Amino acid sequence: MDFDFTDDQVSLRDAVARWVDKGFSFERRHQLARQGGHSRAVYAELAELGLTGLAVPEAHGGMAFGPVEAMVVMEELGRGLVNAPYAAAALMTPALLQAAPAEVQATWLPKIASAEALVVPAWQERGARYRLDQVSAIATQGGTGWTLVGQKSVVPAADEADAFIVPARVGDASGKVGLFLVEKAAAGAMVTGYPTQDGGRAGELKLANAAATLVSADGLAALEYAADVGIAAVCAEGVGLMDKLVALTVEYMNTRKQFGVPIASFQALRHRIADVKMQLELGRSMSYFASLKLGEPPAARRRALAQAKVQLGNSMRFVGQHCIQLHGGIGVTDEYIGSHYFKRLTMLEVTLGDTLHHLGEVSARMQDTAGVFA
Amino acid sequence: MDLNFTAEELAFRQEIRGWVAENLPQDISHKVLNALRLSRDDMQRWAKILGKKGWLGYGWPKQFGGPGWNAVQKHLFEEECALAGAPRIVPFGPVMVAPVIMHFGNAEQHKRFLPGIASGEVWWSQGYSEPGSGSDLASLKTRAERVGDKYIVNGQKTWTTLGQYGEWIFCLVRTSTEGKPQTGISFLLIDMKSPGITVRPIITLDGEHEVNEVFFDNVEVPVENLIGEENKGWTYAKHLLAHERTNIADVNRAKRELERLKRIATAEGVYEDGRFRDQIALLEVDIVALEMLVLRVLSAEKSGKASLDIAGLLKIRGSEIQQRYTELMMLAAGPFSMPYVHEAMEAGWQGDFAGAAVCAPLAGTYFNYRKTTIYGGSNEVQRNIVAQTVLGS
Repeated sequence: MDFDFTDDQVSLRDAVARWVDKGFSFERRHQLARQGGHSRAVYAELAELGLTGLAVPEAHGGMAFGPVEAMVVMEELGRGLVNAPYAAAALMTPALLQAAPAEVQATWLPKIASAEALVVPAWQERGARYRLDQVSAIATQGGTGWTLVGQKSVVPAADEADAFIVPARVGDASGKVGLFLVEKAAAGAMVTGYPTQDGGRAGELKLANAAATLVSADGLAALEYAADVGIAAVCAEGVGLMDKLVALTVEYMNTRKQFGVPIASFQALRHRIADVKMQLELGRSMSYFASLKLGEPPAARRRALAQAKVQLGNSMRFVGQHCIQLHGGIGVTDEYIGSHYFKRLTMLEVTLGDTLHHLGEVSARMQDTAGVFA
Repeated sequence: MDLNFTAEELAFRQEIRGWVAENLPQDISHKVLNALRLSRDDMQRWAKILGKKGWLGYGWPKQFGGPGWNAVQKHLFEEECALAGAPRIVPFGPVMVAPVIMHFGNAEQHKRFLPGIASGEVWWSQGYSEPGSGSDLASLKTRAERVGDKYIVNGQKTWTTLGQYGEWIFCLVRTSTEGKPQTGISFLLIDMKSPGITVRPIITLDGEHEVNEVFFDNVEVPVENLIGEENKGWTYAKHLLAHERTNIADVNRAKRELERLKRIATAEGVYEDGRFRDQIALLEVDIVALEMLVLRVLSAEKSGKASLDIAGLLKIRGSEIQQRYTELMMLAAGPFSMPYVHEAMEAGWQGDFAGAAVCAPLAGTYFNYRKTTIYGGSNEVQRNIVAQTVLGS
């Protein structure tokens, strides 16, 4: 039992933090957000740092790092408020492709590692809420191969992506959940992009007999694993965001004066920041828990990740709302960076299952005993 | 980063588990696991069993006869004891006053007091709070006047937990009114059999006798019972409060009580009720998060690397969770938490009114546990401390 980071992990953290400091100012981010949240150039810079190959096996040009390294990177991307589809493309997609045939891996993983190809999972459908097993898209096999019919929603960086990993029922509505790779350029694939509330970009993917490559004919387990990888990433990003937002708030409380004294001297506000600190540290603890439980067998892993997302959902909402309140009027302006941290924290709660959804998961998976090692 | 305990730590856990299984009397664990009333004899019997093994002072270093365990080993010991249904070690002797005697007492005091604490023979009480000094402890007024080779003590202490059993009491007393209030306080060990001491019960809202008032009327205390230097007691007390806080998260007991909550909810038919069940699920998440927080603090202590600024959070969160599980147990029992039958908390009691016997003590425990966010430095005082750390101002 040990929660220290290795020297290599600290170096990795420093490298990301240095890039944020030098290359990703709030002005740049603001500009990107105003231009519609486009992020491909930013993603290329992350590739230059070697980050896009973090979860790709070495045989395919990646670094094959583990969950703790992913967590470190996500924390720093959160702290820097970096609006790039890193978790989806660099962490979830390689997790999904673990289920792919060797030739599909060999074709796509090197390009994913180098960021030559931006491949994102497109798992959400209208009406499914957060359930991964609610899939309406249908995949059928014809003479020329697989084709897909359906619509996927709020796909990360959809109109900037080169390809999508798409869950679809194999054969008909009663079929298993398969996973398919659909290239954006494929006939029958149509993408509409839009900016998101948090300065990023997403879109709708319409599939009208779109040509597809089979990744897995029985892919629900892989999808659940990739979702858990995504949840751990969301948790870590949330920690980075909260960490920075709390630091901004502390600085503001110590400099902003009212009634002739810094507002940090008022007990009503002091207790509020103490409660914020509590939620931040509970969140950080459960983010560690999430990443460290990714290697567990599926049942234990799903339960642990659901527990983590409940804590992070509550923490992110609490910290976001209260840090805005502690800022007073400046907190609700577009020009102040704190409001953008709040918006990102808010959108992370509704990413990959909100708090009530995961509370339901925890509730359904409760056993007689509980705890970190249960 | 690694969530798992090492092979040595797991082996250590097994050793503790085996020993506790063999040595914890079942009549005692039955009471603990069902939240029944523990007698003085129950508590002291377990203390002496631990004392004989050398584990009552489980946090003590080797030079004072303790096992010299590190933070993780101590945690594992606490966990195994809690899960097996051992009574909480009455902390006043082995956990609170002993470290102060070790750090600030002289060799003579070590020899005189530590063996009785380590063996569980001598029951200690704590004399800190006074009627006018709760959160503002440094304002305390109980006077100790030096007359020759004695102090003459006059005043009153209150909230003295289990003081009705106390044989010795460690007290903060005022020896000077010069300067800041903190600089005129001394740390005195007092024999509770001394003439002039009166212990009077305070009955708490659950109808139980757990805390007391202790009156001092011209009580003579030999000067050799002074710990360290006169007027330095506040420094020693702060040392002690630090010890009090790290124990107070009590996450191991929370895990055990969560299991009991699930059993009660099942028996009362609300475990399958989604609205109720979700509240238990949320508590389960809260407990896992608290356990992770505790493990982070332990890991930092063990490696000695990062001094974490989160230890101050443990008391706040731990006490909130304690209150929450007692609240949910009471709510699970519903109307059957209502009958007040004092004997229902005795082992072997057979009630003949409606509702399971297990329901009878639940409201009382819930009422009793309102204390947890008040004692040991109220949670509002704890928030002041956390805010000071976070804001640096």
